[in-house]
Amino acid sequence: MRGTRALAAVALVALAVVPWVAARHQLSLLTDLLIYGLFALSLDLIMGYTGMVSFGHAAYFGLGAYASALVLIHFAQPVPVALLAGALLAGAVALPVGWFSTRATGIYFAMLTLAFAQFLYTVAYKWRDLTGGSDGIAGVPKTALFWGGPSLASPQAFYALVAACVVLSLVLCRAVVRSPFGHALEAIRENERRFMSLGRDPRPFKLAVFVIAAVFAGLAGALFAPFRGFASPEVMFWVFSGQGLMMVIMGGIGTLVGPILGAMVFILIQEVLSSYTEHWMIFTGFVFVLMVIFLPDGLVGTARRLRARG
Amino acid sequence: MANLGEQLLNALTLAGLLFLVSAGLSLVFGILRVVNFAHGVFYMLGAYLGYTTVMLTGWFWPALIIVPPVVGALGALLESSTLRFIYRRPPIYQLLLTFGLALILEEALRILYGPTAKGFDPPTYLQGAIALGSLLYPRYRLFVVALGLAVAAAVWLFLRKTRAGLVIRAVAQNSEMADCLGANVARVRTLVFGAACALAGLGGVAAAPMTTAYLGMGIGVIVDAFVVVVIGGLGSIGGSIAGSLIVGAAQTWGAFYLPETAMVIMYAVMGAILIFRPWGLFGEEE
Repeated sequence: MRGTRALAAVALVALAVVPWVAARHQLSLLTDLLIYGLFALSLDLIMGYTGMVSFGHAAYFGLGAYASALVLIHFAQPVPVALLAGALLAGAVALPVGWFSTRATGIYFAMLTLAFAQFLYTVAYKWRDLTGGSDGIAGVPKTALFWGGPSLASPQAFYALVAACVVLSLVLCRAVVRSPFGHALEAIRENERRFMSLGRDPRPFKLAVFVIAAVFAGLAGALFAPFRGFASPEVMFWVFSGQGLMMVIMGGIGTLVGPILGAMVFILIQEVLSSYTEHWMIFTGFVFVLMVIFLPDGLVGTARRLRARG
Repeated sequence: MANLGEQLLNALTLAGLLFLVSAGLSLVFGILRVVNFAHGVFYMLGAYLGYTTVMLTGWFWPALIIVPPVVGALGALLESSTLRFIYRRPPIYQLLLTFGLALILEEALRILYGPTAKGFDPPTYLQGAIALGSLLYPRYRLFVVALGLAVAAAVWLFLRKTRAGLVIRAVAQNSEMADCLGANVARVRTLVFGAACALAGLGGVAAAPMTTAYLGMGIGVIVDAFVVVVIGGLGSIGGSIAGSLIVGAAQTWGAFYLPETAMVIMYAVMGAILIFRPWGLFGEEE
């Protein structure tokens, strides 16, 4: 436990020091990694702690990105307003989707969430007047922190905002999984029938955690749009949902910190590979296959097991 | 009236293709308890290999006959070299493994064939249109309808009336019990996986003269096939047939009457069915 705290302190110090030492493009890459980390973290809530595999999580990231882009372009509000809009829209859409999807379990749940996500993707693709169709929305500005407040246009400022959001989200998610609500989720994951036989209905819990996860995914998307300057249908595509699952597995399912690291490693591997070959997807595929067969517990899970043994 | 007939035949053509893909998806789930994400890529592989075969031989029929077993053999090989080792893990791992296989195969096809779509023609006597009363309808599409019906009948008869079909149904119902009674479960799994891939490959060859072989066709078809099996119920061939007909009809009529929102109709139908039957029309509660 003391080791974990020390690691957390080191990570926080590192996050705080980076903007002073890193080059511009390194800082930009790290911001990117943190945004994907937040996305993977949100997925771990439903996947790792409740055992529900959503294959459509990218939709909520995308909804957050679109809401944020529209708010920033059309109303020129401060970034936090856009973040709130993104998180709320994602949560609001997740409510009916979750209501339908949590009627099913296991593989049916995965396919339902996928189908709804592809539906939302199609809407984003076809509703040209609002979303710009396949071109997406470009030129999303990084506005101020609050009305009349400091601008977030510099890489350092936006990095600070993203880092703060990720750390805060991690703390909140930890609080969620350690609360009685979180224990109920784990009980559902371990044995849903037993949970029901104790007189509890698992569906409200599943719906609640589905919406919470969507809110955090929406927040990640809402950070993504001003950071990259655009929102496009690609961020809602099912491949991104699958990559999210892989990030969680790669880092360590059900560890919260693991998926953030997993996302970073995963995106870094893609970055490195794509600088060597345009066919990097084929290597990503091999990474998937090898990880699933040989390292099912992920990086953090494997590290914990090794430490417990040694 | 002619219009209605044309819509009906269009719906049946689409349903025929959807059945060839979704039947394998459903069968693999029934036997292996795996949702095969790579299934759509085998469909795409069928289309591309069909193109190659037609280019090499100059004939359509060899493609339809040779390609499915080749795709099936590749599927069986991949099952026995990767999936076999992780059946005991939670379903998410199998899903991700097949997702990885799908990425590898899709990218390999991109490298081999390049980004442009590849089309080929059906035999001359299946080209052009045929008069059905007042309606002129493409002959090849009628052939696809017939192919879908023939395969559906063949699969159903095989599963219901043969000894091998009996063993497959036994493994689907209770694989441990079947194992104890002397069925070679590992072999059944590999063969079923291969057969399912072969069906998808057949669908790909049959689709290519209409849609051409293009990158991304696998992903398009797998999402539709998911909707089919969600509507029909996983693991049920009857459900696959019913789901294919429903989705084929929803997409055809949707595209005709409400072109902008055709996809929405398909999902609306799915949502409506799921409210009343969360496990699909023919599925069984888990």
